[in-house]
Amino acid sequence: MELFLNRISDGLSNGATYALIAMALVMIFKATTLINFAQGEFAMFGGFIALVLATEQGIPMWGAVFGSMVITAVCAAGIERTLIRPFDPSDHLPLVIITLGLFLGINALAGIIWRFDPRAFPELFPSGNALTYGTATLSWYTVGTLVTIAVVSGGLTLLLNKTKIGLAFRAVSSNLESSELVGIKVGPTLQFGWAIAAAVGTLGVCVFVASPFRQLEPNVMVTGLIFAVSAAALGGLDSLGGAIVGGLAIGLVQSIAVPYLGIPSELSLLAAVVVLMLVLLFKPSGLFGTPQVERV
Amino acid sequence: MATKSPKFLFTQGTNRYRAYKFAGFALLTLLILIVAFAYNDTGSITLFDNDYKFSITRVTKSISFMVAILGLQVVAGFTGQLSLGQGFFFGTGAYVSAYLVADQDWAWFTSLLVVIPVCFLIGLLFGIPALRIKGLYLALVTLGMAAVFPSLIKLDFLLDYTGGAAGKQVDSDFIPPSWLPLDGIVDALHTIPLIGQYFGEGEGLSSKEEQRVWTFFLMTILALICFKVVSNLIKSRPGRAMRAIRDNETSAAVNGMSLAFHKTMSFGVASALGGVGGMIYVAELGIASEGDFTQLISILFVVGMVVGGVGTLSGAVLGGLVIAFIPDWASSTQNLPGVPERWLQGPTGGLILGVGLIVVTFVLPGGIIAGVRKIRGRIVQVLPETPALMPGVAGAAPLEPVSAQVSGGLDGGPTTADDD
Repeated sequence: MELFLNRISDGLSNGATYALIAMALVMIFKATTLINFAQGEFAMFGGFIALVLATEQGIPMWGAVFGSMVITAVCAAGIERTLIRPFDPSDHLPLVIITLGLFLGINALAGIIWRFDPRAFPELFPSGNALTYGTATLSWYTVGTLVTIAVVSGGLTLLLNKTKIGLAFRAVSSNLESSELVGIKVGPTLQFGWAIAAAVGTLGVCVFVASPFRQLEPNVMVTGLIFAVSAAALGGLDSLGGAIVGGLAIGLVQSIAVPYLGIPSELSLLAAVVVLMLVLLFKPSGLFGTPQVERV
Repeated sequence: MATKSPKFLFTQGTNRYRAYKFAGFALLTLLILIVAFAYNDTGSITLFDNDYKFSITRVTKSISFMVAILGLQVVAGFTGQLSLGQGFFFGTGAYVSAYLVADQDWAWFTSLLVVIPVCFLIGLLFGIPALRIKGLYLALVTLGMAAVFPSLIKLDFLLDYTGGAAGKQVDSDFIPPSWLPLDGIVDALHTIPLIGQYFGEGEGLSSKEEQRVWTFFLMTILALICFKVVSNLIKSRPGRAMRAIRDNETSAAVNGMSLAFHKTMSFGVASALGGVGGMIYVAELGIASEGDFTQLISILFVVGMVVGGVGTLSGAVLGGLVIAFIPDWASSTQNLPGVPERWLQGPTGGLILGVGLIVVTFVLPGGIIAGVRKIRGRIVQVLPETPALMPGVAGAAPLEPVSAQVSGGLDGGPTTADDD
């Protein structure tokens, strides 16, 4: 029982970080039906920027994370303007190729600047346990990740529902051509989506590596992206709430189903891929997504 | 319109055209010979104190990439199913043949008898989800499979077969048959005036060098067979069906092509080619280790395909060379004037390939090969055979625009099949 509770706690904290990256993917998918394969690498780079701001500039940790979110958001907006916008949004192949190029390039750039040795990341949440029940513990880290995700989803909901740019974003993601006709500037709105996505992703990686059991290195998000993608697909690729549910579900599958079914821990990635494949095969719209209707 | 007429015109079916084709093949054979004998040791170019190695083992490695990219061309370039999972089959082929050769004492080439069917069947299984999962989603699933491969290799019950994290060592070399006078060839080449000095020191080859040359020859022949098979496939009925599916699935289905059959088949063929590439890779390297078969290699194959030219066979050749040599040369570049040293250490090759991929997508959407064809089109133009019903029309002045149009459609454009 205690082990079970511990595993739930682990699963929730993992799942919350997958959910944050998944939300970043969803932000971009909602607007452009494009998967940004470089999203994990953007976020990893943001994690390094936060680390540099904190350790070399002496900025308090949460301030450094916030600063890095702003920096990556600006960079992502610039990348959207220069590399993504020139292409026809309905033709996916060149855009996928561009994001794959970004994936390779950013990963290598981080490797050149910061090398591949893992670095400890300062803790963002108090260490120790919030609750103890026998040997079962609920660490402050798990509580912190859950609070973070609640704050982020609350913030995004407010941003999308109460601000003008949020309204424009929802209009563009619902119907690109019509929103253009009513005078919404589609380009800057999509740019806004990319910026928000990069900021949320950066926060996700910072929270992910703030765990005392993890370290930051350039390849930290290479497999993390796969988990995030299957979380996003499970929840429905165009549903922000779905990304949270999907992320938590994937985290729980990883920490509960995998050990109890006797699957070797190396295969937790396979479990995520199988979930991804099953979802796309049998319910491509995911749990909360909008079913796609194709007109012939 | 005919703004600038090319210098050389060849009409298909004439003797001149045959001579042109023959010259092309002769040039290719000469190139293979030069690579085999001139660079059998460690041919290198020194630039700014950096040694750029051009040895034959690297060329053999690039051949393995070429064959894998060729497979990717079949499924992604010609059938339009973007697969990011080619590395999975590359790895499967490598491990299956490594196991058969190292533990079962099979010969490398007989291991293909198992590698090809195994990869083909796994590819068919991959192809089944592709029937329902389209476009971007397919890329996601296949990328996931490619990412899983290294952890599959490290599974406990497979450790005896795969060697786990330590890798699977294979000590089996290609010994050239005694009847082949490799020494004699290299000596003969050495006596050629002027260029002879580049072919060895004139004292024949060491047994190690002979093995390298022989491996290179065998793998070149294997690769040529693969390219010929795919070239014929593309020009035949199933190949036309594949291209029809790529261009418009609905209209292909309406015209009576079975989407299910052709999509799964193209996945099967692509995977089998990936497996052959993996076998070449491990035969050259002598070790299969899981770190070589992460999703990175799958992405590199896509880089090779796009940089070379999507939907072209010669693009696969160029792509293989690019992804084999650029990371290698980038890591050999240790000092460059004006660039701080720390920027030259680490994964500079990945950075160059990533940036190169983006640049090519912007500047040359058809890949390098499209640029090459554009230049070649200024010099050489091949006209189609004159139809028997309209004798002498193709060259006639009044119909010039028509012939230019027809030949442009056959010779230019990134979508044309090319049998280089």
